[in-house]
Amino acid sequence: MRILVVEDDRSIAAFIAGGLRQEGFAVDVAEDGVAGLELAREGRYDAAVVDVMLPRLDGLSLVTALRHAAIATPVLFLSARHSVDDRVKGLQTGGDDYLAKPFAFAELLARLQAITRRGQRAVESTTLTVADLRLDRLTRKVDRAGTPIELRPREFALLECLMRQPGRVMSKAMIVSHVWDYSFDTGTNAVDVLVHRLRDKIDRSFTPRLLHTVRGVGYVLKVE
Amino acid sequence: MSSRWSEGLRTALTLRLGLWYAALFAISAALLLSFTYLLLGRALATQDREVLESMLQRYSVAYQRSGLAGLRALVDADESEGRHERLLVRVTNDKAELVYFAQPPGWSGFDLGVLDDARASRAGWIAIDNTIDGSELEVGTRLLPRGITVQIGRSSRVRDEVLAHFRARAVEVGLVVAIIAILGGAIVGYLALWPVRALEAATHAILETGRFDTRVVTRGTRDPLDRLGTSINTLLARLERLVRGMRDALDNVAHDLRTPLTRLRNVAESALDEHDPAALRDGLGRALEETDRVSATLTALMDISEAETGTLRLTPERVHVAAVVEEALSLHADEAEDAGIAIASRIDPSLTLIADRTRLRQVVANLIENAVKYSQAGGRIDVEAAAPTADTIAITVRDTGVGISAADLPFVWDRLYRGDTSRSARGLGLGLSLVKAIVEAHDGRVDVASTPGAGSAFTVTLPTHGHGHGPRPHP
Repeated sequence: MRILVVEDDRSIAAFIAGGLRQEGFAVDVAEDGVAGLELAREGRYDAAVVDVMLPRLDGLSLVTALRHAAIATPVLFLSARHSVDDRVKGLQTGGDDYLAKPFAFAELLARLQAITRRGQRAVESTTLTVADLRLDRLTRKVDRAGTPIELRPREFALLECLMRQPGRVMSKAMIVSHVWDYSFDTGTNAVDVLVHRLRDKIDRSFTPRLLHTVRGVGYVLKVE
Repeated sequence: MSSRWSEGLRTALTLRLGLWYAALFAISAALLLSFTYLLLGRALATQDREVLESMLQRYSVAYQRSGLAGLRALVDADESEGRHERLLVRVTNDKAELVYFAQPPGWSGFDLGVLDDARASRAGWIAIDNTIDGSELEVGTRLLPRGITVQIGRSSRVRDEVLAHFRARAVEVGLVVAIIAILGGAIVGYLALWPVRALEAATHAILETGRFDTRVVTRGTRDPLDRLGTSINTLLARLERLVRGMRDALDNVAHDLRTPLTRLRNVAESALDEHDPAALRDGLGRALEETDRVSATLTALMDISEAETGTLRLTPERVHVAAVVEEALSLHADEAEDAGIAIASRIDPSLTLIADRTRLRQVVANLIENAVKYSQAGGRIDVEAAAPTADTIAITVRDTGVGISAADLPFVWDRLYRGDTSRSARGLGLGLSLVKAIVEAHDGRVDVASTPGAGSAFTVTLPTHGHGHGPRPHP
């Protein structure tokens, strides 16, 4: 997978590129809209991360030009604006998405995977397993080391969300959109409360601990 | 550049108005003078004719009374008395012989031959043009018995002189009129455009200084210019409010961000002192959390500012109150349960209204979060909805929490305000401000009733039909 990152802030560009390379992507970086468009025109990218505000050519014009050239590379917009411009929403066709700055890398990755369709597995197994923790999506039963665990619907949704990508940190925003099916501004502690309850049920009487808090980033399910 | 343009426009307007005034004034004066001249000419002519008529009558009577001799005596007497100094008198007998002829001196240029024709044709009145000076000799002819004909003529020269004199005066008067017209035009043009000038000066001053508290002077005369001034003032007042609102919002944002930024800085600074990798990681994590808090504060502040200035983007749609409340409840249900607070909603599923679904949910969620925050174990929270009138819906979040003191009650909607009892409570302190701003952006209102120690009830009243259009400035 080859990703194009068009971002004029070098620090942010390096952060994104470094993170993506660590995830096994090949990454090219362009620092302005014109250079970005030139690279994107070659059409050999699986996705592009494009800042809306760019020198020489803004991100929206870049993508408009790209679409005119009949190149359908999916684009994830980065926007520092408070409320995302209607035009960005208008451009969110063909799998495009946007992410508001500041963002967690985990979220950028999740959205990137979503627009490249890589996040969706071809065959999602009905049973998810992490260490000795098992979750059956059909019967909606959970057990750890053979001991059945009673989960409420929201707790189940959270665990499913974490178990689908074990080892991957999920941000609060991602959890909210999965469990409550809507996005809200961070600032409420609903996720912390829910994680606390889930941890009580799956970790309290077992070792090793599986549900970890990554301070300032989110939560992850893994064997340390 | 715009000032030069308006300067040009103003000058052109003044000039045009002045010219119009001067032209109208001059034309009226000219018409008046011409009319007077015509009347005067006619009056003089009538007078001349009357003099001739009376002389003819006088001579006829004299002739009839004492014959030709009497007539001649009278004519002579009149002449010697200087009575008809300026008259031509001609008397002929039945054989057309000249009996008497008198002509004032210097009356040359009249073709007197036509007098015989006049006598022959018995024409009453004839006019003989002077071939030299263009004056006119008017002659009245009267036939007396026994073939005597009396003809009396009078030159129009005197009349012409009077009229010439009048014309000369008229030119002088005309000059004065022209001066008055031009001066008057200038004054009228200046005076008529005075309000425009005042408007222009005021608006120009505002453009120059950016001071929106300047006002145009209006005189309350209700004329179009005065109304324009009033409109401009209204516009300015709105602009001023908007500018002040934005400036305040910016101040608030700066102020409200300083605190979390300070915390962020402190956290990062103390992390720098750590040598233990785990503590270092922890410090970085806390720095990240503070960053999220700064970000959330900024978002909330921007939302509040946008809602207050009417620039918040709302997407109105038909919303089921019960569904929205259910979603909002689900966000805080676990927290309430953990804290031992019973939480319940009783809402008629048929209640709907037009509102921005996400924002309405945010309003209800914030009120519930607030209720949970200020409730103790064993307390309960009830969310109810009702339709107090046909076109409003009231959503009430009632808790049995600590309540709000009467002194604090008016300030609960203020940004970052927390009652003394809750200084330590977590949260941004922006929740209720955001609730109020969003509700008011929906043309609704928020009310709070509280008994310290017994609980509070927050009520949001919204119009069921929304305000129908997107964001607009608040009055």
